[in-house]
Amino acid sequence: MEKQETQTTGNPRRKILHMAISSILMEKGFESAEKACVETLTEMLQSLLVEIGQSSRNYCELSGRTTPVIGDVVVALINMGISLQGIDSFGKRDSRHIIPTPQQASQQKQ
Amino acid sequence: MSGGDNFGIHRGAARPQDDRTQGQILSDFLLQLEDYTPTIPDAVTSHYLNTAGFEANDPRIVRLISIAAQKFISDVVNDALQHCKTRTSNVSGSSHGSSKNKAGTKDRKYTLTMEDLTPALADYGITVRKAHYFV
Repeated sequence: MEKQETQTTGNPRRKILHMAISSILMEKGFESAEKACVETLTEMLQSLLVEIGQSSRNYCELSGRTTPVIGDVVVALINMGISLQGIDSFGKRDSRHIIPTPQQASQQKQ
Repeated sequence: MSGGDNFGIHRGAARPQDDRTQGQILSDFLLQLEDYTPTIPDAVTSHYLNTAGFEANDPRIVRLISIAAQKFISDVVNDALQHCKTRTSNVSGSSHGSSKNKAGTKDRKYTLTMEDLTPALADYGITVRKAHYFV
């Protein structure tokens, strides 16, 4: 029941991840994509973000800190097998799109 | 610096230097993240990180995570594209193989299908399977 409601109204954060996935696909040279694929990649991106957060927090708490530092994130990423090689050129590539930050207006309406 | 414990093999000296440059690249990149606008808005990334109980004061951390996650997805998509390219070129090569068809490959429109995404994800150790109740 709840799931149907989120499907019709659309989770705004999820929508942004959807846009990010779509822009990556376009950039890589795909003209179109199956809905199942985009949905799979969106789900992966979402769970990847949560997983990196969880892992980083664990490394942070392991060191007896409450505020995470960049080192925790780097260790978490390496432990997850995500290579940081070439991340600087990926971040600075010219063809990247920037999704504008959604307006706060919808929150005030509530 | 004495080669006594290295038996004349100088590979050991090159390795730490290589590691340092890799770390140097990363720390330089982190400094640049200060005034950087990521593809995914910081607010969205922070929300998903907060879901996991991760609360960062430093926006650079959030940006690093968002870029790392996107890079991972981008690598997967790139693999899927290569799968798609090889598959379509094999199909066209076996069915026709004429020069006219080869010209068509140049501006072919690629569509991402599960057929290409599944083997690409399998390379990363991720198995994509529908739930058994899913029709």
